[in-house]
Amino acid sequence: MSTLTISDKERFLINQEGQDFSHEAKTFIKIRELALKNLKDLDFPTKKLENWKYTNLRGISKIEFRPQSAINIIAEKVKAHKIPNLDAYTLVFVNGFFSPEFSDTAEEKDGKFVVTNLNTAKRKFIKFVEPYLGFQTRAKDQFFVNLNSAFSQDGAFVYVKAQQKLDKPVHIINLVDGDLVAAYPRNLIVAEKLSEAQVVVSYETIDTASALSNVINEVFVAEGAHVQMDKIQNENKNTTHISADYAVQHKDSTFTINTIPANGKLIRNNLSILLDGTGCTANLNGAICLNGDIHVDNQTYVNHAQPNCDSNELYKAVVNDQAASIFNGKIYVNKIAQQTNAFQSNANILMSNDAKANSKPQLEIYADDVKCSHGCTIGQFDDEALFYLRARGIKESTAKKVLLEAFIGEVLDKIKIEAVRDYASALIAKNFNSKN
Amino acid sequence: MLKINGLKAEINGKEILKGLNLEVKPGEVHAIMGPNGSGKSTLASVLAGREEYEVIDGDVDFDGQDLLDLSPEQRAGEGLFLAFQYPVEIPGVSNINFIKTAVNEVREYNGLPNLETKEFMKLLKEKQQLVELSGKLANRSVNEGFSGGEKKRNEIFQMAMLNPKLGILDETDSGLDIDALRIVANGVNELKTKDNAFVVVTHYQRLLDYIVPDFVHVLYDGRIVKTGTKELALELEEKGYDWIIDEFKETV
Ligand SMILES: Nc1ncnc2c1ncn2[C@@H]1O[C@H](COP(=O)(O)OP(=O)(O)OP(=O)(O)O)[C@@H](O)[C@H]1O
Ligand SMILES: [Mg+2]
Repeated sequence: MSTLTISDKERFLINQEGQDFSHEAKTFIKIRELALKNLKDLDFPTKKLENWKYTNLRGISKIEFRPQSAINIIAEKVKAHKIPNLDAYTLVFVNGFFSPEFSDTAEEKDGKFVVTNLNTAKRKFIKFVEPYLGFQTRAKDQFFVNLNSAFSQDGAFVYVKAQQKLDKPVHIINLVDGDLVAAYPRNLIVAEKLSEAQVVVSYETIDTASALSNVINEVFVAEGAHVQMDKIQNENKNTTHISADYAVQHKDSTFTINTIPANGKLIRNNLSILLDGTGCTANLNGAICLNGDIHVDNQTYVNHAQPNCDSNELYKAVVNDQAASIFNGKIYVNKIAQQTNAFQSNANILMSNDAKANSKPQLEIYADDVKCSHGCTIGQFDDEALFYLRARGIKESTAKKVLLEAFIGEVLDKIKIEAVRDYASALIAKNFNSKN
Repeated sequence: MLKINGLKAEINGKEILKGLNLEVKPGEVHAIMGPNGSGKSTLASVLAGREEYEVIDGDVDFDGQDLLDLSPEQRAGEGLFLAFQYPVEIPGVSNINFIKTAVNEVREYNGLPNLETKEFMKLLKEKQQLVELSGKLANRSVNEGFSGGEKKRNEIFQMAMLNPKLGILDETDSGLDIDALRIVANGVNELKTKDNAFVVVTHYQRLLDYIVPDFVHVLYDGRIVKTGTKELALELEEKGYDWIIDEFKETV
């Protein structure tokens, strides 16, 4: 008996095809072609790979996910995912496709900046896009990165010209609506010399019985520029979310990324920061509070390629029920990167016997004048503190809430936009309690 | 007010309190002394409701209620206060929010509305002054980085804010210099009325110069083995505990 078999990956890739990108400029088509070529040699990551040791993709390669544009998007359902009291340029994407009717773009506002969707930018602002798009995502060995590069429909484009400042934050809302959706939103954020930008990216669900969000954020921070990014992952329990976030920083720049993985089925974040100039500061923070059986895996990679840079990582997790929180933080210090300060801290509180936390620092240091420190703790709830509060008349439930808020609050305080901080705090507070 | 009857308690299977009796009436001050490890803090913890300790026998009546039946927060609501021997540091929780939450939760327990911010601030100022606690500490995290003396004064400050019926002070005087000792004692004396009572655990007679006890008890091996008046404290300071322990051993 002879059968023509094709692998799960091949079938999966066939399902992603059928999108027409032929209208794009050659330079952008090339990115897709290269990614497709890479995908030929790649496959879905398995637990055999060191970086995927703790995260099992639970057979997603067999699921018939496909790109699908949503039909009949109901305005009320989109509005429900806005962040209350946030005054921002809002860009809405549903299943990775741009929804102009719910978005307010700012194209060359006063000649200072561009806030629009990537497809528009590829046509109208090609000279701003071309030098940057795909620059950081050429990794041949990353399956999901190449998957997004090949099939991404659209995303946000934020470009701030030299010495300019976005007059308000940009809020990129990514929604999924429909079953078996594969969404590939891809954002490109460019802050030119001495400019400033605040970007909030949220991932949420309108409705789906099964979805894959495979996303990329690519950030360029030029000399002396400041970029702060808050990333809120609040999708439903049927959604697998895989994110790759890249930033390259030039001299004296600052980049901060705050990650709040709150809800979903499985969330994987790959942060990759390249400190490619002297005097840079990178801040990577994670406020993680989980319940139910969600699995969250945060991987960070900070590459100190140049001297005199600081990186600060603070990830804190509260884990309830059967949830799992993984942290893997790699710091690489190049041999010329003297006077590097690299700090990393990961603290976990397990609230139940079935909750899991895994923490792994990885330091690779080739310079000798370096201050590096890392600390990870995995512990139980602080019963001494709990008793102290209760002995002062504070109810057990209130006391627990006070203590967890204090623990996670240290990270939430890194979110500078009050409305976003409130939104994130509320999501987190909901997860303080068990779902069981 | 407090009536402890034949109290036996253990931790990790080890019996610490071995049949302890004590009665405290309104308006009284009791001092409890005794060698290290005799069970003084254990008694305080059991009364405050620490769950690690298991009561295996005896009962405790607090103003007509079975104290051992109540949760720690209910006990505080009923007016029991423990000043900890080792106050806990709680990073990220501001001292002022902590005490505000505590005051309002105790009020809620007693069917009273929350204090208006203005009233709360007034009370706060007044009580901070009472124990000469710097206003700066209000905005710091609870006990975090406080000096030993500041921690102890913070305990008395909390006690003053909550105005309990029964205050149990577990070695609040240990580690205090003379000035701080006077401040703490003065705080207690200001709070003292004919309706409330204090149990003061101490190793040092010097505290009892400031807080004058009506009774002095010696706790040894989980039992109160001798009770006297304030003169007993002086005698203990001079002669130590051995003679009492010997006396006790002869009787059993
Ligand atoms: N978790 C525990 N497990 C086992 N034994 C304990 C535990 N906690 C306390 N103990 C023991 O209980 C006994 C009484 O301790 P306690 O702290 O009540 O003494 P104390 O009278 O307050 O002493 P001190 O004057 O030193 O404060 C000690 O022998 C102590 O070692
Ligand atoms: Mg003690």
